[in-house]
Order: sequence, then C-alpha cells, then structure tokens
Amino acid sequence: MYEKTFESGITTKPTSASGSWLGMVFVFPWDAFLLSGSTELAKVFRDGTKVQYAIPSGGHTLLSRVGGYAAFYVGDGKVYGAYELDQLPNPNEVLNPLWPVPYALSPNSQIGVMVDDRRGLWLRCANQNALGVYDLKNGALLKTVTHGAGEYLKTLSWAQEGQVVGVGPSGKVRVIDYLAGAVVETGRVDAHMLAAYDCAFKVTAALGQDWKMRIYCREAWPHALSNPAFEPAQVRGLQANLVRVRLTGQDGEPCPDWWVHWSLEAPGGPAPGRLDRYVSKTDKDGWASNFYFGPDDGSTGQATVKAWVAVN
Amino acid sequence: MSLWPVGVASPCMQYIPRAGGCVNEIPPGMFFYHPELIICPKKYIQGKFRAKHFYYDQGADQYRAIFLGDLAGWPGWDARRIDFEASTGMAIGDPSKAPFVGVWGTAWTGLSVIGSYGQLWGIDPLAVFHTLNPLTMEPAAGSIAIDTRTWTGRPQYSCAVVNTMDDFFAGVSSWVVDCWEGMLTPQRVRVGRLRLPNVLGWMTYESRNYCWFVTKDGFILKADYRIPRWEMISKVQPSAEAAVGYACAFDTKRKRLAVLRMLNDAADGACRHQIEFYYPMVKPAFLTKPVPVTSKRAGRRVVLVANLVGDAGEGITPYTVDAEMVAPVEGRLVTPFSGTELGGRVSFQYQAPDEACEETIKLTTTVEEQL
Repeated sequence: MYEKTFESGITTKPTSASGSWLGMVFVFPWDAFLLSGSTELAKVFRDGTKVQYAIPSGGHTLLSRVGGYAAFYVGDGKVYGAYELDQLPNPNEVLNPLWPVPYALSPNSQIGVMVDDRRGLWLRCANQNALGVYDLKNGALLKTVTHGAGEYLKTLSWAQEGQVVGVGPSGKVRVIDYLAGAVVETGRVDAHMLAAYDCAFKVTAALGQDWKMRIYCREAWPHALSNPAFEPAQVRGLQANLVRVRLTGQDGEPCPDWWVHWSLEAPGGPAPGRLDRYVSKTDKDGWASNFYFGPDDGSTGQATVKAWVAVN
Repeated sequence: MSLWPVGVASPCMQYIPRAGGCVNEIPPGMFFYHPELIICPKKYIQGKFRAKHFYYDQGADQYRAIFLGDLAGWPGWDARRIDFEASTGMAIGDPSKAPFVGVWGTAWTGLSVIGSYGQLWGIDPLAVFHTLNPLTMEPAAGSIAIDTRTWTGRPQYSCAVVNTMDDFFAGVSSWVVDCWEGMLTPQRVRVGRLRLPNVLGWMTYESRNYCWFVTKDGFILKADYRIPRWEMISKVQPSAEAAVGYACAFDTKRKRLAVLRMLNDAADGACRHQIEFYYPMVKPAFLTKPVPVTSKRAGRRVVLVANLVGDAGEGITPYTVDAEMVAPVEGRLVTPFSGTELGGRVSFQYQAPDEACEETIKLTTTVEEQL
C-alpha cells in the first residue's frame, strides 16, 4: 500500500443530487484535476475543493493525454484535444484523423485509456492482466505489457515520458513503461470511485466512495516485518553474527528508508552478548541488518533478538 | 486572469408604479390583461421585464437596454428602451417616460451585439444578420445583410460579433462559437470553433480581437475570436438567489464588463434587476488547504502544496503566501513564505523532527489591491 499523505475533511460531491462522477484526469497547466460527471465538469484541487465550471455536452468521454492534459473520445471514434484554458473538448484538434477508434477499443466506465499523440500511441487494457499499446494511425497492436493486476485498469494516467500509471478499482497500481514494455513499479491505494495520477508531484489521487479525496505518495507503507533471521543460521560466540529483517508492504513490496529498532532480551536476567546497534535503516529492498556478538566471557544462555518498526 | 467586481447598481431600474397603489381585487366591469401586477401587495403596472437587447453605446457613454415585459392594462405587454448611466449603472430618467419602442423589432430580432464602427447587429426571423436601427431594433435602412445560411455547412447563429473592419465574424449557436474569416467574400473560411461551458446567455464585443460571453449559469469568458482561443474564464459574484438571466456589455471607455443580472420581481412587484461591474484583473477567492505530497516521516523534509485561485478556479499569480506553524511546534518550517506559480500553486517545505508528532500549518495571503 502506498503511503497515504492526506485525507480530505470535506466531500467532493456533484452539485446536483442526481449527478455522478464519471472520470478524473490531472491537468498539468491547472495544477488540479478535471472531474467529469453526468451533470457537470469541475476543477478539483488536491484538498478536495471543487469548483464547477461547465456542463458536459456531446457525449464526450474524458481520458488522459500525454503531458498531463485532457482529451475526449466521442462515439463516432474521434478523439479530440482540449482547450488549454478550460480543458473543454476542442473540436479544432482531432488527435486521430486517420483511424476512428472502434467501440472495442474505446474507453468506458471499467477500462481506462491514455492517448500519447506525440508518439502516435493509444493505450488501453487488452485484458485484465495486460496493457495493449496500439498505433494511433491504424489501430495495429504494437505490443502488450503484462502487468498481472488481475483486473482492468480503470484509470490510465500519464506519469512521465514513456510511462503511464494504471489503477484498478480495487486500488492496485501499476507503473508501466509502455515504450520499454515493462512494469517498473507496483503499489496499491485504497479502493475508490475514481483515481488519477498527479504527474507534477508524482502522487496518486483517489476519490473514495465516501466522496473524500485521498493523496498517496509512491512510498510503500509497511505491512509486515519478518522475524529476525541469522545468516548463516548457526550463531557462534566470539564473532559478529549477521541478523536481518525485512520490512514489506501489503503486496510484498519492499519498504526502504524505515528505521528498525532492535533489542536483545532474555528471560529472567540480562541477555548474553550484545547487539552492534539498536537502530538501523532498511535498504532499497527493505532489509535492515544488525550484528549480534556472542558473550566473550565464556557464559552461556538464551537470548532473543527482537525488532520492531514505529508506524504512526 | 480573473475578474474583479468593482461595483453594483442594485436595483438599476424601476417599474412604473400604479397611481393609487395596489388594489385588493379588480373592480367589477374592469378588465386587466395582467391583474396580478396590481393586486396587493404588488403595486406596479409593469412586471417581469426581461432584456432582449443590452449594449454599450460608446458615443453616448450609456448602456442601452430594450426590455419586453408584462403590462397590467392594454395591450398586456410592454417594450421599453431604458438607458443607464455608464459610470453608475442606474437607469436614466423617469420610468414612465422611457420610450415605448414597439414589439416587432424587439421581439423578432435576436439579441443584438455591437460590432465594429459601433454598429448594432442582430438576426431577423430568418437568421440573417443586419445592422439594426437602435430605436426600433428593426433592420436599418441600407443595412448589408449577412446570410450565414449560404455559407459552407449552412450554419445558423443566434447572435454574432461582426467585425467588418477586419472581415471577421464570430457567431454563436447554442454553446458553440464559430469564428470565420473573410465573411464578406466567397472565400470565407471557418478558422476555428470554441466551445462554451454552458448554453450562451449573452455575448458582447470588446474590440477588433476580443469578445465576451456570459453563460446561462453565470460563467464569464473572454475570447480572442481571430485566433480563435479562450483568454479567460471567471464567474459572476455568488448570489443567494439564482438569476433568471444574464446580459453583458463591455464598456470600452472604462475597460470593464457590465453584467445585467435579471432577478424575479420582489414581493411588492418592484424590479430587482442589477448591473454589476467587473474589471479584468485577478482577484483571489480562496486558498486551498496545504496537502503533503511527500512521505510524512520522522526526520524527513515534507513538501506541502496549496493553490490560490479565483471564483472559477483560475490560478492567481503572482501572489505571496505566508505560512506559520501553530504552537506547539516540534519541527521546523523551512519556507516561511512562498510565491504562487503555475495554476496558482504554492509550495512549502517542513522539516519533521526525529520523533513522531502532530503539527498544524496555517497559510495566509494578503490582498492589497483595491479598485
């Protein structure tokens, strides 16, 4: 699970009681999100503050565009850019003049799409475990990138040059390099209604079913700390014995840069030997290490190495 | 850019009061087309005026409007031209002396827009554009006719900015603005299309490059109709009561936008229309909460981001935003102040202590400009 850095104290509901939200895209020149709903278009900031500014028209489906912009798909297969000022559909700019996108490759409420018109690419999930990269000129499938999420990525947001962030409705996150054809990072956010990737600060924003906006940075939140294990397992006196623990997230992803606290305990008295240190930091793979020195006075006994992480 | 409200005339006009005040019931033998206008507590013989035309007359330095509404007695309707002082927005003269302009031109001509050379343009019932006689709102004698139905695509527009000086035309149909070049020649071409955020409420001309729109729900937009491109989006001032309609006119002398907000009549029948003045200058409306965008961990430097925006969510730059930590303070605020940048964004950095704690950061900004 990615670390949640912010949860809004306000709700971001549609103005109309009968309205619903359909899509969300981060707009880089706004430094805010565009929320598309059944009854309104709104600008939403990271703290959940919403400003309604338009009424949707023309059956336009919102999707993410390279560079952190909005684009719109219409049922006739055309994909339009958006005006810079208000991100409304711009009928003067057709991104796919040569290939009308067929219904089978169009965005919908379950499957997100990202258009990289700079490179002439159309990104859409091919199935629940792979992202399809299509040629925007003719719709040819250029490659598939296996992401293994086990669900369609409802959100596809441009992250940076050549990278897209996909988020499934359960919260699974896949950062995919669609040029190299590989998943570069996996993560998770809470289950939500809509999500979008903020390419300015590299955070994921998710609008929950409770209408609250939540922000997640791309650092794994600890879920489990392994038991201390000696390497090698045989502990010998009069030498440094390496002992390690691993801190991982909910999906087994490593948690780097966390302080691990160590202690040495024994039943009914002081523990034999000593530890080299009492705090150490996890490395990029989530491992924290320490050394145990056995007693040098010939004494014997039992000792327990304990490790823990302080998580707020 | 945003819009700064700089004044309001509320109400900006009055109806003609009934001599003798209101009546509890219509006397027998008398007939009124709209008796509800004079039955207590209502006491005016006019009511429900809605602007059919509203524009700024640069030569006279006045706003001129033609209203259609109800009249208690014969003929049951009223069509009046009411002029407003451009500096105050107040109607000029006695309402009973406002010229009766007749209904034909007023009712059957689509909303008129001042074009270049100060000419008033509007459509006839066949959607053909003419310059209009400002007194009757009928096509002026000798007016050229611009029939857009003969153009490519046979478009029809409800109103338009007609720039005969540079041969540009920006016509509105519902919430689409088509911008044409070479309108008076067969080689005319549509150079682009703009999309409004909602159905058009009103449209007005500013200059040879710019025009303004107000939508039915009160959003104001400025466009460069020769590129074409949106220049600005903003909003009318919030109001407790929804308007029944908006009209707008650009005062080229004072460089400000006048918005006629039409409201339902008061309980006693008095007119409550008001004219609001907006100056094209940034005005902050609210500052969002600072949001941490990096990990909040002991010993780390945390980045917090907020946005300073106007009423329509437009980013405000350049402004300085101050930050302070609310006592008790455990960590350290690295940036006590910061300037807004793209989208009104402002960033701060906080150095967290080595122990877990809970801190509160407060952001403020000072609006020093006064208009």
